[in-house]
Amino acid sequence: MVLKLYTSAIATCGQRVAVILHEKQIPYELIEPNWVNKEHKSESWLKNHPFGQMPFIDDDGFVLFESRAIIRYIATKYASSGTPLLPGDTSDLKAMAILDQAISIETSNFDPHAGGIMKEKTFKKWAGQEADPIFVAKSEEGMVGKLDGFEKLLAKQKYMAGDSLTFVDFHYLPYGTGLEKLGYDYLTNESKYPNIARWWKEVSSRESWSAVKNSIPPSL
Amino acid sequence: MVLKLHTMPWSAGGRRVALLLHEKKVPYELVEPDWAAQEHKSEQWKEKQPFGQVPYIDDDGFILFESRAIARYIAAKYASSGTALLPDDTSDLQAMALIDQGISAELSNFEPYVAGLVVEKLIKPLRGAEPDQAAVAKHEATLTEKMDGFELMLSKRKYMAGDSLTFVDLIFCPYGNALTKMGYDHLTNESKHPNLARWWKEISTRETWLAVKDTVPKSFLV
Repeated sequence: MVLKLYTSAIATCGQRVAVILHEKQIPYELIEPNWVNKEHKSESWLKNHPFGQMPFIDDDGFVLFESRAIIRYIATKYASSGTPLLPGDTSDLKAMAILDQAISIETSNFDPHAGGIMKEKTFKKWAGQEADPIFVAKSEEGMVGKLDGFEKLLAKQKYMAGDSLTFVDFHYLPYGTGLEKLGYDYLTNESKYPNIARWWKEVSSRESWSAVKNSIPPSL
Repeated sequence: MVLKLHTMPWSAGGRRVALLLHEKKVPYELVEPDWAAQEHKSEQWKEKQPFGQVPYIDDDGFILFESRAIARYIAAKYASSGTALLPDDTSDLQAMALIDQGISAELSNFEPYVAGLVVEKLIKPLRGAEPDQAAVAKHEATLTEKMDGFELMLSKRKYMAGDSLTFVDLIFCPYGNALTKMGYDHLTNESKHPNLARWWKEISTRETWLAVKDTVPKSFLV
């Protein structure tokens, strides 16, 4: 049975999963919830995703939610398909710890601030609501405060989890692109943050991201 | 060389790591940064932890930060020591995926809102600042919704990542403790959230958590 990806085609967290499916060339079928009916808040959706969010996958009966968990599952299950996205030796405790460190860095130090800006300036806009300037300012301050850390990290290594590309680099794509679209230069300021810019240019120009960043294709 | 845990003893992340060390009976030594001098913001500290945060560990020269990553590293490295905190079969893709799901759910759906409330209700008063009531209301509303999700998760399985205890459950301890300390009953209201209450009662009364919940002990030598 083909893997089923349950998400809106434009949901940022759904796109995070889709880019990996494309990078690894894994066949899938997109199943979009009925947005108007708020299907993702329905009892039947909650059976699969207890937080009423998207995405979740149904991999031949195995249901999994949290985009970053889904990504790791795909990267591991299909390790030998498409682009390698794991450390070379997955029995290397230290390499796997650096991977976990990288996953945690994105969720702790990027997502809250980038997500905060996106929530106010993009998602609220979609819902016809106004951005709250106080929350925007707070998130902007938070984001700027982290950039030195990312610059330091990427000055020592090529990618987020070491010198090889891993799935963690892709975690940044949806909000990173969202911030670019809003006119922020956090990830593109070559003079101020040359290593961030170098890394972002490479990761964000991957074909797999071009394929899904506007809208997740209905299938692969 | 004994593992060095670099953190302030009251740090939530520091206590999270200490809990794992105690559960797995791993000897360690607490190395406190000079708080008054804001040592964790120094350039020297940032050589090890580029974001100027705590904790980080130095395991015989191997530097690792992000408390949840450290927790997993300890659980994996010392798999055969102390409490079993990983799935029985770590090559079981689905079991490991549920671990990742649990870690992600804690970081996305629990931590930000509890930490937000901690800032307003515990940290700001310490500094003589007024809590931002709008922020409190926002965090409370979202948290209430999220806790319903965790209740649903725990209605299907005994623990956060399956039917056995794993390090994922322990990751919740510092902010779970803070939530209860602030007077919220999301984790203790047996009529409203019976599964959360059942789970939290078990996790929060572990001897190892009681040993570290207020402050990281200076050392732990088996």
